[in-house]
Amino acid sequence: MAVADLKKSHKKRKQREDVEEPEKGAFEEAVGLEMLSDEEKDAEAESDKDDNEVDVFPEIDTRSDSEDEDFEDSEDEDEEEEEEEDEEEDEDSGEDSDLQIFPKSKTVVSDITGQPKRVFPEIEPDYDSDSSTEEDPNRVGNVPMHWYDDLPHIGYDINGKRVLRPARGDELDKFLQTVEDPSAWTAAFDKNTQMDKPLSAEELDIIRRLQAGENPDTNYDPYEPTVEWFTGKGKEEIMPLSSAPEPKRRWLPSKWEKQKIMKIVRAIRQGRIIGSKPTSSDKNQVYAIWNEPPSNQPPPLPAPKPRLPTNSESYNPPEEYLPTDAEREQWEKTEPEDRERDYLPQKYSALRLVPAYDRFIKERFNRQLDLYLAPRIQRTKLNIDPNSLIPKLPSPSSLKPFPNYKSLKFTHAKGRVRCLGVSPDGAWVASGDEEGVVSLWEVNVGREVKRWKVDSKVGAIEWCPRTDVSFFVAGIEEKLHFFIPPHLTPAVSNLTQSLLAPATLPPATQSAIKWTSSAASSADGSILTINLPPASGLPKQLTWHRKGDYLASVSSSESQGGVWMHQISRRHSQAPFKKIKGTVQLVLFHPTKPHFFVATQRYVRLYNLAEQKLLKTLMPGIKWISSMDVHPSGDHVIVGGYDRKLCWFDLELSDKPYKILRYHTRAIRSLQFHPTYPLFASSSDDGSIQVFHARVYSDLMTDPLIVPLKILRGHDVREGLGVLQVKWASRQPWLVSAGADGNVLVWCS
Amino acid sequence: MASHPVVFTTKTPYPLPSQKFMIPLHWKRFQLSQLINKALSLPRPVPFDFLIRGADILRGTLGEWTAGNGVGEEDTLEIEYFESVLPPQRMSSLPHEDWVSSISSQIPQHILTASYDGHIRLFDYSQSLLVDVPAHGAAITSACPVPSSSQDAESSVVASASHDLTARLTRISLSPSTSASPRFHSLASLHLHTLPLSSISPNTTGTHLLTASWDGLIGLWDTNIPDNDDPVPLSLLPDSHSDQPKKKRKVTASTDAKRKVPLSIFKSHTNRVSKALFSPDSGNGNGKAYSCGFDSTVRTWDVEMGVCVDTITAPEKPFLDLALTADGHIALAASTDRSVSIYDLRSSSSSLTNSIGALTHPATVSCIVPSSGAPAKSTAGSLDTAYTQHQLITGAYDGIARLWDLRSTKAAVAVFKVWHEKKILSVDWVGNVVSVGGEDGVEMWKVG
Repeated sequence: MAVADLKKSHKKRKQREDVEEPEKGAFEEAVGLEMLSDEEKDAEAESDKDDNEVDVFPEIDTRSDSEDEDFEDSEDEDEEEEEEEDEEEDEDSGEDSDLQIFPKSKTVVSDITGQPKRVFPEIEPDYDSDSSTEEDPNRVGNVPMHWYDDLPHIGYDINGKRVLRPARGDELDKFLQTVEDPSAWTAAFDKNTQMDKPLSAEELDIIRRLQAGENPDTNYDPYEPTVEWFTGKGKEEIMPLSSAPEPKRRWLPSKWEKQKIMKIVRAIRQGRIIGSKPTSSDKNQVYAIWNEPPSNQPPPLPAPKPRLPTNSESYNPPEEYLPTDAEREQWEKTEPEDRERDYLPQKYSALRLVPAYDRFIKERFNRQLDLYLAPRIQRTKLNIDPNSLIPKLPSPSSLKPFPNYKSLKFTHAKGRVRCLGVSPDGAWVASGDEEGVVSLWEVNVGREVKRWKVDSKVGAIEWCPRTDVSFFVAGIEEKLHFFIPPHLTPAVSNLTQSLLAPATLPPATQSAIKWTSSAASSADGSILTINLPPASGLPKQLTWHRKGDYLASVSSSESQGGVWMHQISRRHSQAPFKKIKGTVQLVLFHPTKPHFFVATQRYVRLYNLAEQKLLKTLMPGIKWISSMDVHPSGDHVIVGGYDRKLCWFDLELSDKPYKILRYHTRAIRSLQFHPTYPLFASSSDDGSIQVFHARVYSDLMTDPLIVPLKILRGHDVREGLGVLQVKWASRQPWLVSAGADGNVLVWCS
Repeated sequence: MASHPVVFTTKTPYPLPSQKFMIPLHWKRFQLSQLINKALSLPRPVPFDFLIRGADILRGTLGEWTAGNGVGEEDTLEIEYFESVLPPQRMSSLPHEDWVSSISSQIPQHILTASYDGHIRLFDYSQSLLVDVPAHGAAITSACPVPSSSQDAESSVVASASHDLTARLTRISLSPSTSASPRFHSLASLHLHTLPLSSISPNTTGTHLLTASWDGLIGLWDTNIPDNDDPVPLSLLPDSHSDQPKKKRKVTASTDAKRKVPLSIFKSHTNRVSKALFSPDSGNGNGKAYSCGFDSTVRTWDVEMGVCVDTITAPEKPFLDLALTADGHIALAASTDRSVSIYDLRSSSSSLTNSIGALTHPATVSCIVPSSGAPAKSTAGSLDTAYTQHQLITGAYDGIARLWDLRSTKAAVAVFKVWHEKKILSVDWVGNVVSVGGEDGVEMWKVG
C-alpha cells in the first residue's frame, strides 16, 4: 500500500511538472485582480494621511504594507498549487477507480424526461453496508476517548479484552519519523485506536478537496454543461419584480463603514486597542521528560464504604428481629445519640407496602459528613521511642572499677591546695598549698609523714616517674625545689642523692638558669633548687618526660615564653622555643614519641622535638585552655577550657575535636587520664569531679567509647574556686583531688 | 490475730521447755524477749536476740520476716535465742599525741599501742602509761605481742613493723618493781623489705612471725634472737649519712639489737601485701598462713614449703585487712570498696573465689577483729564462746565501729560511734573489752 502510494505521488509530481507551464498564465489575471483590490485599500489608507495620527506612525504603515504584500504572494502561490492539484485530480479520477469511496454513479437518460440523469447504485443492506462490521479492534463505540486518557488501555475488543494503548513517541520521534518516512506526513491520528494511521489515497483526496473548497465527491462535476431552465427562447421573464434602477450602493463601498474601520485602525495604531495576546498554551510543546520526577504518590484512598444493611433492616425481617414493646419504649426513651441503632426494625408483608423512606435526606447528609471527615491520605505515623534515639551506652556498673566514694580527707590547715602529686607507685601523695606547705602523706591512711615549708605558694608538684629513684619537684615563685621522701631503701636513697646532688658536678652550661644542690639540708629542705629567671612568676605546670630525665616547666609570667626544659642528668636548662605566639598555658610530652604538646590560649600545637618542626595544630574551639592530658596510648588528647568545654581529640583523625563534652557548670580546672585503667577525670570550679570511662580501641576503625560514670561531690567552692587538681593513683582506680577549700580527698572504688 | 508456730532453742543457760509456741505475727524482738523472761521468770531481765532458722536475726516483726522470706503459715519456725549484745558503752579513752596505727590487748590486763610517732606504748587497764618505747625512727604500722610458751608474766616480747623498712622485736617488762633497769630492751631488727611494712603477726605459740610489706613480699621469721648479726645485704642497711636522725633515735632505743634475716620469703603477690597472718591451728613453722594484698587476692601459703597453695581472686578489690575466725574456717577480708568479704576456707578451692557473703559499710573498712574464741580469764560472766564465734567488729574511716554477726550479714548488730569523722585504724577485742585505736588516740568500749 505504502509502495503504491509512493508510486502515485511520483506520478503526480511528474504530471504537475507537465501541467504547470500552460496553467500559469491563466491564473495571473486573477492574482492581479486581487492585488488591485488591496491596492485600493492602501490607497485609501494613504489618503487618510492628512490625519495627524497617521503621521505619528509612518513605519508601521510601511511594514504593514510589505507584510501584506508578502502574505498575498504566498496566498497566490497556494492558490496556484491548489489549482494545479485540481487539474491533476481531474485527470487522475479516470484512472484510479479504487480511489472512489463514494458509490459510483452512472449517467443514464431518463425515460420520463428524456434528459440524462445520474443514477447511484442501490444500497444493499448487507454487512458491508454497516460500519459496525468494520475490522475495528476497539469496540467502545462513539464515546469521548479522553475517558481513557488516564488508563493503560484505550477500550475493549469484541471479546471484552482490553485493547492496550499503543506506544506513542514524543514530538522528537514524530519529527524523526517525518524525516525518515516520506509518507508520515499523510498519517493522521486515529482516536479510536489511539495511533497514527496512514491515510488512504481516497481520504487524502477528500481532504484535498475540502481544503480547496470543492465538493468532496469525486464524481461531482462543477463544469457540467448548463441546462437553460429560465433563459433562452420561450423562457424569458416577462414581468420583472421592480423596474427601479439598481442602487448605487450595490457597487460603491460604504462610506460609513470605512469611517468606522478607520477609527479602529487609528486606535490600534495609537495603541489604544491592544489585541489579545495569542494563546501560547500549545498542547504539543516539547519538554524534557526527565526534568520532573514521576510522582510516586499512592493513589488517593478509596472512600470508606457505607455499612451494608443487616437482616434487621430488611422490610420483612424475621420475627426475632422485631423489637418488643419494652424494647421499643426503651429505644424511644433514649436520646438519638445514645441509641444503639438509629432505626427500629419494621415488618411489611409486601414490598409495595413499604412507605417512603423518611430518613433518606438525613442518611445522605450523614454519609456526606462521613466522607467529608474521612481521611484522604494514609499517613504513616512515625512511632519512634525517644529512648531508642539515645545512644546505647553500657551501664556504669558494668564498667567498674571507678572511684565512687570519698575514702579519706587530708586537710591543709590554711590556704587552698593548688597542686598535688602522686608517687609512681601510687602510695604517696605530695600536696602543696598556697601558704607554702608541702605535705607528704600516705594515700591509704591519710597520715602526713613529712612536711616542708617553702617560701611562696606552691604552683605545681610532680613526682619523677623513674622507679629507681624517688623524688618530687615542687614549683614555687621563680624556683623549682626537689624533695626526697623519707624511708627509702639505702639503694634508692643513695641513687637519688647522687643524681640530684652529685659529688662531681657536670660541666657548667651556658644558661640563664642556675642549679644549686645542697646535700646537707636534704632531709629538711630541698636537695636541689633550680632558679628560674627573675620575674618569671609561679610555675603553673611541671611535666616530666616518661624517662624521668627531662622536666618541662611553664611559668605564669606573660612577658616571656615561660617554657623551660630541664635536663636532670646534665643539670642544664634551656628554652625550647625562641618565640611563641600567645602565652603558653600547658605543655606535655608525648608518652611514646619524641613529640611535644604546647597549648596556648586557644590552640594546641604538636611539635616534633627530634625534627624541630610543627606537626599539627589542634583547634579545640575553646576560648581559654585550662588543662590538657594525653592518653597513655598517645593517640588521643583531651583538652579542657575555662569555658566549661572538654574536647576529645583523636590525633589520627582531625584537627577538630572528635567529641565535645559540656557537663561542667563552671570552668574546668584539671584533667587526667588514668595510666592503666580506661578512665579519665575532670575537675571543675563547680566543686565536682566527673569520672569518665574512656576506652580506646587498638582497632583504628572503632571510635573511642566515652561513658560518663560518676560525679564526685565533696569539695566546697571557695571564692569561686572548686577542685583545682585531680590526679590518679597509678596502680589503682583511685583518684586524689585537691580543692580550694584546703582539702585533699581520696576517692576509692 | 494471726500467729505462727515457733519452736525455741538455745545454747544459753536459759533453756525453755521444748514445745511449740504460737507467736502473734506482729511481735517483735522485745515481745519475744519478754516472753522468754516471763516464761523462765528470771530474777533479772536478760535481753535476748532471736536467730530465725540459723540465718537471720529478727529485726522487724515476725510477720514481716515470714512475708519477706516466703514462709508458709503452717511451717514451724525454729528460732534460736541468745543473749543480746547490749549497747556498747564507752569505758575510757587514752589520749595520744599521734595517730595510733595498731592496738593490741592480747597481753592480759594491758593495752599495747603503736603510734605514728614511732613509739610503742603499754598501758594497763587503769589507763596509766607503763612503758613508752621509742622503737622506730618512723611510723609504726603494726605491733603485736609475741606469745611466749613460758608463762612469763614479768615481761613480754613485742614485735613491731614500721615505715622505716624494718620490723623489731622488743622485750618489755611488765612488772613495775624493776624500775631501776630499763623497762624495755630491743632484741632484734628484721631486715628484708625495701618498702614500708604493713603488718606483722605471730603464730599462736609465738615461735614464728610473718611480716607483710608494700613491696609484695612476705617474710617468715623465727623469734629466736641470734647471738650475732645475721649477714644482712648491704643494700638494706641504712646509710650512715643519709639517715642520720633515724640512726640517732635508734641508738637511743637500742644498741644491741641483733640483725636478723628471714627464714623464707613468700613471693607471689604482685602488689602491696596488706596483711599476713598464721592460721590459728598452725604449729611451729608449719601449717598454713594467709595473706591479702592490693592485687585483690587472698593467698593461702604452706609455711613449711613457702609456696602459695591457694589463691582467692576477687575482681578489683584491693584488700586492706584480713582476719580469720577463731576456728580458722572463715576468712574475712576488708577491701577498699567498703565491704568485708567472707570466704569459707573449708570449701574446695574451685569455689573459693566466691565469697559467701559481704558486709557492706558506708566508709572504708580499715580493720577487722573477730571475737576471740577463748574469753579472757578475767572477764567472768562474759559471753559464751558458742555465741561469740560468729561475731566480729570492724572499724571504718568514718569513726564508727560495728559489731556484726556472720549469720546475719545484712546489717550490723551493734554500732558504736567512737569518733566523729576520724579514722579508726585498729581494733582489738578481748573478752568484753573492745579497744579502738585511730586518729584520735585510743578508746576503750565495753561490749556485751
